[in-house]
Amino acid sequence: MTTPVLEIRNLHARIDEREILKGVNLIIPPGEVHAIMGRNGSGKSTLSYVLAGKEDYEVTEGEILLNGENILEMEPDERAAAGLFLAFQYPIEIPGVATMTFLKAALNAQRKARGEEELKTPDFMRLVKEAGSQLNIDNDMLKRPLNVGFSGGEKKRAEIMQMALLKPSLAVLDETDSGLDIDALQVVSKGVNALRDGQRSMLVITHYQRLLNHIVPDVVHVFSDGKIVESGDKDLALKLEAKGYASYGGEAA
Amino acid sequence: MRANFPVRLGPAEDALIAQLKAAGADAAAERITVAGLPTRRVESYHYTDLKTLLRAIPPLATAANEASAPALRIPGAFNLMIANGAIQNAATAPAGVIVGKAEGGVLTTRDDVLVHVNGALAREALTLTLENSVDPVIQVERRIEGEAAHVADALKIFVADDASATIVETFSGSDAAHVGNHATYLSAGKNAVVTHITIDLSARAVSHFATNEYQLADGAKLRTLVIHAGAGLARTHVFPRMAGAGAHADLTGLNLVADGQHADITMETLHAVPHTSSQPLFKSIVRGRAKAVVQGKLVVARDAQKTDAKFMHQGLMLSDEAEILSKPELEIYADDVVCGHGSTCGMIDEDSLFYLMSRGIPKPEAETMLVRGFIAELLDPIEDEELNEALQGIVDGWLMSGK
Ligand SMILES: Nc1ncnc2c1ncn2[C@@H]1O[C@H](COP(=O)(O)OP(=O)(O)O)[C@@H](O)[C@H]1O
Ligand SMILES: [Mg+2]
Repeated sequence: MTTPVLEIRNLHARIDEREILKGVNLIIPPGEVHAIMGRNGSGKSTLSYVLAGKEDYEVTEGEILLNGENILEMEPDERAAAGLFLAFQYPIEIPGVATMTFLKAALNAQRKARGEEELKTPDFMRLVKEAGSQLNIDNDMLKRPLNVGFSGGEKKRAEIMQMALLKPSLAVLDETDSGLDIDALQVVSKGVNALRDGQRSMLVITHYQRLLNHIVPDVVHVFSDGKIVESGDKDLALKLEAKGYASYGGEAA
Repeated sequence: MRANFPVRLGPAEDALIAQLKAAGADAAAERITVAGLPTRRVESYHYTDLKTLLRAIPPLATAANEASAPALRIPGAFNLMIANGAIQNAATAPAGVIVGKAEGGVLTTRDDVLVHVNGALAREALTLTLENSVDPVIQVERRIEGEAAHVADALKIFVADDASATIVETFSGSDAAHVGNHATYLSAGKNAVVTHITIDLSARAVSHFATNEYQLADGAKLRTLVIHAGAGLARTHVFPRMAGAGAHADLTGLNLVADGQHADITMETLHAVPHTSSQPLFKSIVRGRAKAVVQGKLVVARDAQKTDAKFMHQGLMLSDEAEILSKPELEIYADDVVCGHGSTCGMIDEDSLFYLMSRGIPKPEAETMLVRGFIAELLDPIEDEELNEALQGIVDGWLMSGK
């Protein structure tokens, strides 16, 4: 059997004494796109942050294997270099740091961590231009400080552009559809689908089914109260949309 | 001061008094004899108590025999030097720049001990007259070389009407425990556009004092930037006088303060006539057990209607033991003005740090990016590329020295 890109075993995590993840189990083979659906507050973003290595969370039990390697002891930058990418639900605004400067630092840091040579400026510019044009991101936007004053749609497109440049083996997309109108949703989905290459795996977190019409998942998981409670094919998403999350118990959202 | 309660004088004051008397400055000597060095009870020295902080005054400087390496190289700049108070010969000046000498003392007399002492002890002043716009950056290196020395030096700059120029002053020298008392007077003519940057890059053992006075005529535009990145004790006192309608000043400064250091930027801006504006923006970055001070006073004269001025100080703490102190003051005698002040203080934002790291950027590099971002507002407006890079280099060097 090929090594899964992501394997989560009985993951428990808490913040400030409060347990949020209560035994998550998940396996994503290479090339597959899995969706996680769940009501607000069920712990979806927490899962994405714990995967990416945010400090605030304490993992009390379980394991996370990325391409067979346990990443729990790794810093966030090491996880990124190992192939993990998180598209944030709420991308952070960083005044004073030009988007272009940031992209170059990120790309070169990952190359360095993998023992590759730094990109020369013209090569970098070409890559950025290519990735940008697919997502309607112009030079003007790249000169602005990172995410500062970006509209909701611009922020999400910028996240997908970063993903396109960094070429992760696992992309976690946290509510990439939230705050997008239908046109923006199409641009973003097209960007994401362009990165499906049969090798790269994705974990698409969403509250609504509509994103999954554009990014069609191989497997859908229902998330409730800190764990996966049901898994199925893409029709599970439609069923959820019709029935709502009520039948899975827990508090109403 | 009641005559029957004389202040107790310490060795620094005794030495100062002796030096002033020897120079024939009896009035200045008498003031110190009566009042001593300023303590925290003197408002403008509230957080920088000279009586406590300044323990010794070394002998007055003699001619410099050796020279340390330049502290900052700005490619393409026209260089001038004052070493141990003496003006050094310079290369041929660019067109429109007249370099000269005058008797010492360039500052307007005011009730400030460092101003008095500089006026009494500075023997000669370097004068720069800029008759038209000057392309190359003008760099004035102010050095204190050799054994520990007390130096008072002076620089006077006239920028003609409609001219534009960028002047950078750097303060550096040998590693000894010097006391530098530096004065700069800059007059910007009508519609002149001037950038004036002063950078302290002295050794740790040095006590660095600078007083920068500005006079702005109608429509003059001034940008100032004070950087403290060297001396153990650094204090720059900035006195802009907005004297012509339409004059505008961006008054900026950056305290880079590491363990054991104390840096103070104190500004007192006088809006003397109607329709002038100023934007004072100061930042302090502090790590270790260190202290950064910014005081900003805006004085608006009775007639100075339509003054627009807002003082801002932002602090970034890189350690828990650091101290950042802010004191804004408004003294407004006109009624139709927009004046304000604000200050903020925080640590590196954890969410921002996580975001950068999640893209593969290691923590030290991510922190550096965030700190650079914090001060971008101060450096971005410096348009000369070589100069901008040199300034960025100072900041990066300071950050690296703490990693
Ligand atoms: N920093 C935090 N401190 C305390 N509780 C938190 C924090 N972040 C999230 N939570 C709580 O964890 C639960 C799960 O939140 P989250 O993972 O954001 O859910 P979702 O993304 O599914 O909407 C919520 O009840 C939320 O209030
Ligand atoms: Mg969420």
